[in-house]
Amino acid sequence: MIRLLWLDYLATLRERKTWLCVAMLAYALVAIPVVLARPPDHVRAAIAAWFGDATPFQIFMYVWIDLTMNKVIAFLPVVIASGVVLRERDTGVLPLLASKPLSIPRYFVVRALSACAVMVTLHVATQLAGAAYFTARVPGFRPGPFLGAMSLHAFAALFATALCAAIAAWVKHRGASALIGFATLGGLVGLSLIGFYQPAWRGITLANPITLGALGLGSLDHLGPAVLGPPMLALAALTALTIAVGAAGVRRMEA
Amino acid sequence: MNQAIEVNALGKRFGEVTAVDGVSFAVAAGEIFGFMGHNGAGKTTTLRMLLGLTRPTAGSARVLGRDVVHETLEVRRNAGYLPASYSLPPDMTARGFLHYIAAMFALPRGVAAARADALLRRFGLEREADRPLRGFSTGMAQKVGIAQALINEPAVLLLDEPTSGLDPLGRHELLEMLRALARERGVTIVFSSHILSDVEALCQRVAVMHRSRLVACDEVERLKDAHGARTMDDLYLALVRREAA
Repeated sequence: MIRLLWLDYLATLRERKTWLCVAMLAYALVAIPVVLARPPDHVRAAIAAWFGDATPFQIFMYVWIDLTMNKVIAFLPVVIASGVVLRERDTGVLPLLASKPLSIPRYFVVRALSACAVMVTLHVATQLAGAAYFTARVPGFRPGPFLGAMSLHAFAALFATALCAAIAAWVKHRGASALIGFATLGGLVGLSLIGFYQPAWRGITLANPITLGALGLGSLDHLGPAVLGPPMLALAALTALTIAVGAAGVRRMEA
Repeated sequence: MNQAIEVNALGKRFGEVTAVDGVSFAVAAGEIFGFMGHNGAGKTTTLRMLLGLTRPTAGSARVLGRDVVHETLEVRRNAGYLPASYSLPPDMTARGFLHYIAAMFALPRGVAAARADALLRRFGLEREADRPLRGFSTGMAQKVGIAQALINEPAVLLLDEPTSGLDPLGRHELLEMLRALARERGVTIVFSSHILSDVEALCQRVAVMHRSRLVACDEVERLKDAHGARTMDDLYLALVRREAA
């Protein structure tokens, strides 16, 4: 199963849709320092209202997490995972694969894990490239806290990908599952930082997995295992649970 | 004789539609068994039930002594299958796809590579082995489809219309290869085809399905004698007309 997972991961990395994702991430990387150099007035006003005495690095991290990477994890997981197993079924590949000694639920698990691995690879590669690029382009940039906060965010990306795969498994139609996945992730992303703006709602928003992924934003000066560990574990557990739920969804699927 | 496949009163209903109705037959180990019938006769559904891809609603079947419902994965571990209708993943190469299928059987990497190379060589695909499958012709894709069915060196091979898309030379080579597999390695082959001359050239015994039911199952020559048929076409028409009468 490990070898199959590895081969599936490599095959997914080579797909055209993955290169579309790479292009989007590359654009975000290059564009954000340019946007931040002359932010639009409404962004500047919002930042002043929410982060009155914030440092330039905190403002950069808000922009990077909320305006960039949160949008990325509302869209890229849909591209990567909303057709898991369904595309094989719709294109006629599944009759070949389903005749092998691997049940469709187990095959779903392989495909979902592979999609998660691809998403995390893209996420991590973007942060590593960003750490190098932003150091040169963004005044006051701190690579350590940046990588710490974004390592937690990678777990949110992992969960988002698993969620899209699970939605696909239950919806069973590629177009509908992409729409529902995008709407669901869009909703979660849209509500993810409410706790930062409205501290009274902070407790409730912790139920939002995307909020857990952005918790580093509130602790940039003291990121460590105690801050990052619990949300990472929670997101990893949620991811495993979500994939299991997805596997149950394809139990009765026929090739 | 040792039976590789035993089918007993196997049936499948999709709602009100009966796709397969009380089919019974047996295939001996190492035999090449022909499966004939028009479109919608129930051949594909029967083959799919033998692999546990479709759950029977009546009867039972055993492949290599394993129950197709309760020991599905064990059946598949020792079987190769080529569906009548399928596609190959367009972004994968032929070699990559064979390695991928080998991984589904948990074959070690070295074994998988050696078998993939041997199959690519056998089907004359070495030069195209590292090209994406999206550019493959129908015949080349069919060869890859047959190669994937052989990657696990199966004891039972279920082929649904395997010669469709192949040119005359490719068809001849495939039939020769299937004969060699049965003769040299004792592989049991169920060969489902519309091309009656292929069935006659390859199979000693055949089963004929018509409107979800098995209407004949015997040696080709004996069936021909019994129905006064000189050719396979005559035989098939005689059997179908007898059922229609």
